This record gives sequence, structure tokens and C-alpha cells, in this order.
Amino acid sequence: MKIKVTSVYVDDQDKALRFYTEVLGFAKKTDFSQGPFRWLTVASPEEPEGTELQLALNNNPAAKAYQQAMFQQGQPAAMFYTDDVKDDYERTKARGAQFTMPPTDVTASIIAMLNDTCGNLIQLVQLARKSQAAR
Amino acid sequence: MTDREQYTPGPASGAQVRKDGEKWTLILVRELRHSPEKVWQALTDPAHLREWAPFDADGNLGAVGATVKLTTVGAPAPHVTETTVTRADAPEVLEYKWGGFDMRWQLEGLGGGTRLTLWTNIGHRFISMGAAGWHICFDVLDHLLSGTPLGRIVGPEAMKFGGWQRLNAEYAKQFGIEAPNWPPQAAQKS
Repeated sequence: MKIKVTSVYVDDQDKALRFYTEVLGFAKKTDFSQGPFRWLTVASPEEPEGTELQLALNNNPAAKAYQQAMFQQGQPAAMFYTDDVKDDYERTKARGAQFTMPPTDVTASIIAMLNDTCGNLIQLVQLARKSQAAR
Repeated sequence: MTDREQYTPGPASGAQVRKDGEKWTLILVRELRHSPEKVWQALTDPAHLREWAPFDADGNLGAVGATVKLTTVGAPAPHVTETTVTRADAPEVLEYKWGGFDMRWQLEGLGGGTRLTLWTNIGHRFISMGAAGWHICFDVLDHLLSGTPLGRIVGPEAMKFGGWQRLNAEYAKQFGIEAPNWPPQAAQKS
């Protein structure tokens, strides 16, 4: 078994695709539909065959309630790893991303939190051990 | 050979696309050799829907205000949406939503048979795929009502089917759009 795809709920798949590609810089991976169901995933250009993120429409009441509760409690719906959180912070901010937390040192990592405009908080993580190894 | 193995869809026909701002509507017309009453039952009764439609219903769609769960058949992740029937003038007009899609069915008597029209909105990139899928569904519906059921052909089963690939290309050509990439892996390269 492999962890190949994980999901975030979004309130609008077209808007989500724009945000995740144009602002965050991911690439569209798979997009097809069956009736009103649309399977839409993005992947990192740094790892095109890597884990995919499904942008799933939150069109059922349980999904909406879960998403809202997570957002209100400040819990990220997903975490993305980066080698340079400060650089990604500046880059995505320049393209319009709104951060709820600028890059912040915490135990074993530097994190930042942004609003994906589709109902989620997304955490960016730079592991301290990785940045130390790079130095 | 069974009827299902022998079945080959006819050429693409009876479909139109209407664009209203960002909203695209697919309009499909099919003439059936069965009475509007019979067709109405096939459109509303869960046991009939299970034989031909791209979704399952957990209740009858034939009454205004009926709340029914619709399950998309063959979707790559479970997809269940709840709908409320907004119009049910038996055996003429039926309206409800399937997920975010409006579904409007009209049945007109036609010399003992029925002219069936479906209006449904759909993402514009998937419009030829939708037309091909409904074309096959309507063939299966016609066989069902004629007492020679083929068994439902929807979702991945329809897409594996040579006739679906051809219809998808034919409808794309009729609508003046590029046929969507299929299988989806092909989309990665574009």
C-alpha cells in the first residue's frame, strides 16, 4: 500500500483549481467527471508522480460541517512540506495568498498558515532537521 | 451472443448545447416507442431507474416535495446527494437536481410513443462525454421498455465500451469542441 491521494473539501472546484495552481503553484493532475461528480486532483511539479491532492466538492452536509469546524478551530485541512517556508510565504503572498500566520518557529519546524479561499486553512511546514542538514 | 454483446449504439443525434453565461446546458431528445405513462414510470420508479439510469434513487421521484438520495453509479469515490423533486406533472414534466445539475424531463405523446427531452447542465469540458453517456442510457431505457433489457451501461463500463468512445468523438465534433482526453492519464501530458 502507498499513500497516493488525500483530499481536501472545497466549496467550488473551479475556484480551488485556480488557487491551488495559480497561487500555490501545483499542477493539475487528473480532471474528469461522471454526472455531477468531478474527480479533480493536483500534484506538486517538484514531484509530478508523487502524492495527489483531491479537491473534493463539499456538497454534502457532513463535509460542510466538518470543514467549518476545522476552520473555526484554526486546524489545517492539509499540510504541505517545503524546503523554504519563508520563500514560499513571499512567493504565494505576492500572488494573493492571505496568511493567518506568518512563518513561525515552533518545535522541530517552521510553520505558516494560509487561507485557501475555499474554506480551509493550509499549513506550510519546513522541518528544522531538513533545514539544518541543508546548511 | 446476448443482446448486450450485440448492442452497438447508433450515430450521435438528437443533442444540442446551449450556453448561457458560464452555464452550459445539454439538451437531449429521444423518441421512444412507448407511452408517456410507461416512460414516466421508468424515470421515477427506483426499480426501473436501477435498470438504465446513471444513478440509483432510494425513493420514488414522481411527487413534488419527495426527498430522495441519489447515488452516482461507478464514481471513483462514493457520491451521494440528496434531492427534492420540484416539479412532477405526470406524465409530462419532471424536475429535480442531481448534485449541482438541474434535471428537467419533458414527455410529449407522439402517436402512441413518447418524445422524451432532457435538459441538464454540465461542465462544458465534459459535455460530449455526457451526451455519449446519456445516448447509451436512452438506448438501454428503450430496450428495457421493449422487454429486451440490456442491463445498465454507465460509468466506467460505458467508457470502456467502443461505442461510447465513438459517440464522445462524434458529439464533440457536432458541438464544435475538442473531445476531452480519455483515459484521464492522457490529460497529464497536456
